[in-house]
Amino acid sequence: MQIHDDPRTDAELLAVVAESDRDALSVLYARHAPWLVLRLSRRCADPSVVDETVQDTFLAVWRSARKYSGQGEVAAWIWGIGVRRLIDTLRREPAATVMLTEPSRTEISAEEQVLLGVEYGDLAGALHTLSPELHAVVQATVLDGLTTREASRLLGIPAGTVKTRMMRARAALREELV
Amino acid sequence: MTTAPGTWHLDQTLVRRYVDAVTDAVTAASVESHLLRCAGCRQAIADESADPASVARRALIWEDVVDRLDAPRVGIIERLVHRLGIGAHDARLLAATPSLQVSWLASLLLVLGFAVAAAHGRDEAGALFLLAAPLIPVAGVAAAYGPDIDPAHELGIAAPYRTSRLLLLRCVSVLVASAGLAGCAALALPAAGWSQAAWLLPALGLTLTTLALSTRLSPVVSAAAVALTWVLVVVKLVQLDRTAELAGATAQAMFLALIVAAAAVVVVRHDQFDTRSAV
Amino acid sequence: MSTTSTVVVDEVTRSFGRTRALDGVGFTAGQGVTGLLGPNGAGKTTLLRMMATVLAPGGGRLTLLGLDPARAEDRLAIRRRLGYLPQEPGFYRHFTAFEFVDYIAILKEMTDRRSRHDEVRRVLALAGLAEESGRKIRALSGGMRRRVGLAQALLGDPDLVILDEPTAGLDPEQRWRFRELISTIGEDRTVLMSTHQTEDVGALCTQVVVMDNGRTCFDGTPRELRELATGRVWLSEARAAGVRLSWRTGEGEHRNLGDAPPKGARLIDPTLEDGYLLLLGERALEPAA
Repeated sequence: MQIHDDPRTDAELLAVVAESDRDALSVLYARHAPWLVLRLSRRCADPSVVDETVQDTFLAVWRSARKYSGQGEVAAWIWGIGVRRLIDTLRREPAATVMLTEPSRTEISAEEQVLLGVEYGDLAGALHTLSPELHAVVQATVLDGLTTREASRLLGIPAGTVKTRMMRARAALREELV
Repeated sequence: MTTAPGTWHLDQTLVRRYVDAVTDAVTAASVESHLLRCAGCRQAIADESADPASVARRALIWEDVVDRLDAPRVGIIERLVHRLGIGAHDARLLAATPSLQVSWLASLLLVLGFAVAAAHGRDEAGALFLLAAPLIPVAGVAAAYGPDIDPAHELGIAAPYRTSRLLLLRCVSVLVASAGLAGCAALALPAAGWSQAAWLLPALGLTLTTLALSTRLSPVVSAAAVALTWVLVVVKLVQLDRTAELAGATAQAMFLALIVAAAAVVVVRHDQFDTRSAV
Repeated sequence: MSTTSTVVVDEVTRSFGRTRALDGVGFTAGQGVTGLLGPNGAGKTTLLRMMATVLAPGGGRLTLLGLDPARAEDRLAIRRRLGYLPQEPGFYRHFTAFEFVDYIAILKEMTDRRSRHDEVRRVLALAGLAEESGRKIRALSGGMRRRVGLAQALLGDPDLVILDEPTAGLDPEQRWRFRELISTIGEDRTVLMSTHQTEDVGALCTQVVVMDNGRTCFDGTPRELRELATGRVWLSEARAAGVRLSWRTGEGEHRNLGDAPPKGARLIDPTLEDGYLLLLGERALEPAA
């Protein structure tokens, strides 16, 4: 799928998908499936669950293309659908939701430093001091935009634990930034 | 330190490290956050995960998406039938039966509703119900099969699937559905105890007779003949004020005999359904 | 005995009440496209329905794929290798194209969902309907519905494909597309196709059988049919009298078809239609049996 060739924006493609254009869906798939697979794989260690989730996500994109408000990036909209599908699947059949990487003990390259600076500004260094569990909760609620309950389903921990860890994370970050 | 959005992008090393899942959690999270806003870097990620295994994996997922998009819509009736243990493909065949569509069953309910309501207002209570209830599955069978009803009838005959089996499947389902509905409606009858069950054997008998006749005539003609006969019989009984006899042992035994005879005819002549011998 | 004769029709007769629809039809057909040509009422549909095992055979002998459709076990075996497009294909109008072909695929004993869906997609693509598979049949044009009909006839890659007037009512572009399709199918299968349009035959068929009044009156190649009219088609300035047919062409001359062209007439090469008309005309002149 040569997605370079299609000049339409994601929003334009989505509008056409709403008219049941399968071709447009295949272009969206070519553009977004690669990163979606990777991002989901970092939240769920079971590849067949990830595959099923990607499939469900694009089916949901097909069915609810009309509901895209036009606000914000289509990629973010797709991620919102995808992560919630993952949570639904995990609710039915709990699978490994292991975080595949650990916070840094290895060297961070200069590029990565820049990236962190761009994305998080001063927070970057502070985030690194968080333990894996705390970071996972921050990622789920802040980065992935999940509610406490959704985060608890995704991570496989009770909602109460999510809340306490968030408080500890905030406290730790505040300390670091001061 | 902030850089204007849109001017900073992932470099190749970072892309590779992310795809190989060797970056740390914080960096990975940053990458992901950036990807949500940058089509160019999403393309870079796609290019980096263009190894055969990943491409094949994504192709497989896409095939599943397409298959689900194409997949025949499964209606309520089909799901129900499947849940009851009938194989998925047989359930699919049943789903096309006109007299198993939701609209048909809904109109059945209406008819039964009227019959029951009428029963509550008059004395010949049971008679009206007794007239209508057995004809419901007869009509259902007429509308389940045959050249007048089924547009793909010829194609069905020319196909290997045994037409007699399809017919049987459809008729049993229609019988169960209509009898079930009629049974529920019967419970709402005013307590003229006998008519609540007296319709069952006639229903079965008339339906099987329709099927037996269909080995020779078209289902619609068979059903019409059976229905007419039944109406005449019941009307005559009402005139003579002898409707209660239908619940009597003699009448029920006669219906039982009718059931056995008709069933025998169907069994013996079932291969007539597999080829049309007339125009 | 030729192994390529998929279809053997031998003195086949069939009556409906007092009407004698088939009165002694005989020919053989093998690989390639065989056209059944004839006017309405010639018995083409009756014959094709017998071949599709939809109508019980009457008198005579009919052999399909080496099997006898009068015997139940053989019938089943035939149906497993058969594709059939009736003259008026009926559809469940609320079904999508995909759903309908899928339904027929189930009737063709394809029970595994995944491979069945792959096969449905394959035949829909063959019929040029890949994009329309999700549309409801009632929303499709007549030509597209015909193609859905053709698609289901191709399910399971049948050895014998029977098409009853597949191009009737189609506009020229649709007809051209159909012919292309049928021609491809006929390359390694036996296709039996009925039509009352000679252009279809000329474009597609390796063999043509002309039927009239329930009988075969010609069995040969399209060229042989055409050559029946060799030397009997000529141009003239004025309308000719006493000939089979004479009509004014677009160029202002008269084209004549008859048994005996006048001396020195400007003979022209006959078309398939000329041969066909001449043949039927002769039949019409035969004394009643």
